Amino acid sequence: MDVTSGPAGSPTTHNARSEAGARRGLDGDAVFRVLVTGAGVTVLALLGAIILVMLFGGVQAFSTFGPAFLVSNVWNPVTHHYGALAPVFGTLVTSVIGLLIAVPLAFGAAFWLTQLAPARVSAIIGMAVQLLAAVPSIIFGMWGFFVVRPLMAHYVQPNLRHTIGHVPVLGALVQGAPFGTGLMTGGIILAVMVMPFVTAVMRDVFSSIPPVLKESAFGLGATRWEVMRQVILPWSRRAVVGAVVLGMGRAMGETMAVTFVIGNANRIGWSLFAPGNTIASLIALEFPESAAGSLKLSSLMALGAILMALSFLALCASRLMLGVSSRQARR
Amino acid sequence: MSVLAGDLRESMTSSAMIAVKNLDFYYGQHKALHGITMDFPKRKVTGMIGPSGCGKSTLLRVLNRMYDLYPGQRATGEVMFDGRNIVAPGMDLNRLRARVGMVFQKPTPFPMSIYDNIAFGVKLHEKLSRAEMDARVEDVLHRVALWSEVKDRLKSSATALSGGQQQRLCIARTIATRPEVVLLDEPTSALDPVSTARIEELLDELKKEFTIAIVTHNMQQAARCADQVAFFYLGELVEIDSTDRMFTAPREKRTQDYITGRFG
Repeated sequence: MDVTSGPAGSPTTHNARSEAGARRGLDGDAVFRVLVTGAGVTVLALLGAIILVMLFGGVQAFSTFGPAFLVSNVWNPVTHHYGALAPVFGTLVTSVIGLLIAVPLAFGAAFWLTQLAPARVSAIIGMAVQLLAAVPSIIFGMWGFFVVRPLMAHYVQPNLRHTIGHVPVLGALVQGAPFGTGLMTGGIILAVMVMPFVTAVMRDVFSSIPPVLKESAFGLGATRWEVMRQVILPWSRRAVVGAVVLGMGRAMGETMAVTFVIGNANRIGWSLFAPGNTIASLIALEFPESAAGSLKLSSLMALGAILMALSFLALCASRLMLGVSSRQARR
Repeated sequence: MSVLAGDLRESMTSSAMIAVKNLDFYYGQHKALHGITMDFPKRKVTGMIGPSGCGKSTLLRVLNRMYDLYPGQRATGEVMFDGRNIVAPGMDLNRLRARVGMVFQKPTPFPMSIYDNIAFGVKLHEKLSRAEMDARVEDVLHRVALWSEVKDRLKSSATALSGGQQQRLCIARTIATRPEVVLLDEPTSALDPVSTARIEELLDELKKEFTIAIVTHNMQQAARCADQVAFFYLGELVEIDSTDRMFTAPREKRTQDYITGRFG
């Protein structure tokens, strides 16, 4: 009798209790739920609004110039001819230069911090790297303008022109008047700005290697470099590539620091020391001078849409690679 | 009885591959090993037992200087191997670790193919032709009884193997560099009984060629595999003797209590 009455009786009391509990929690829960849902939706709505504004703003330019907008390097406010190629070229070249300098440095720093440096030194330097990442970009811009630009103008470019200026292919890369501004200077500034981010990600990845895996390699008599090259790097390859692409995304979107040193000339050429332009710099400089509803403003919006597309592509690629790598790690 | 034990110890000393004498070990300020003195006889299996934290794994990690990877860990005393004190400064660690191989608690295949996992260690120390390397890989895979299972997929990833297969691969990888000593740190604790049995069979084969030190939590495993057994407790070597004597007539009460399951 006890056995049958137990199960028969208890569900009702249990239900009654849980309903009362649900009612009591309903008010607070519901409010909280609405608030956090609202926060989440707002982020999504903002992103959507930005994309829409960029696309709608750029419609006039896209419809006037058609696909030619993407492949024309004319930027002439007088004749109302606008094309995206020169700033896109500048954006990609400065970003690539920045990464070519930053990635080896970041790799070296991360390797040293995780494998060689004493724990205390590693902690201090790791902190310094993060501080470097927190420096506002306008500071890098001023530093680039007052320190790096004169160095490039007075020493780097003149010396390069003397040494490799007459070599057939390399010579073309160093031609032009020594302004000090240009793609190379922009790339160097970007390298300094991107390096901390790439270092931080690589450092995390390298230190997330299971210790036994490292010990196994050391246990076979491998040196630190051999362990890095043959075990840690293959293990973290995708995450490292992801870190690099993440750096690329940042480099492409960087505005103020580059604007200081890029030279702001809408041209495409071989010389890395000639003034150029990036999408972000061009927008920052020309925006105040564009009348509402003008074709110029629309062209700037269209450029913005292109930059966003490029950044999204870089971000998606890096997310994809990082995601695959973390799934591998879990397995 | 004690005379016999003395004789046995003496006969073992004479062919000691590794002779440990008054070894102390520190994790920073904490002293983890207290004056350990023992021999690892040549081509014999030495079992190391004791409760968690007793120092048996620590001793194992001294024998190939694995502790060197971590700051603050140091050993003092004498560990003679091939006429040299390996805990003294100036030791070529990469060479030492090739001669004193190690297999870990969990299988640790590298993120590369089965073939490359074995070739990895060999390439670090020897320059072999393609054919010689192929022969070496096949040979060690035969010896760990893995060849028939993997011969058709040597180029596929080692991480796709089962746990037991991975551990046998790790043993193959270790013996591929032709070490003189093989250290095993609870090599079967992550494996099922069938895989465990296969590894234990393997040890019988391997001791014909290598000197083996195995840390284990499993008393039966020590009884089955080892020629001599050392019992550690709180960083001290309590007792070391032939396996038979250790499990039938231990001299120390603590040993008896541990092996009969009264603590630990």
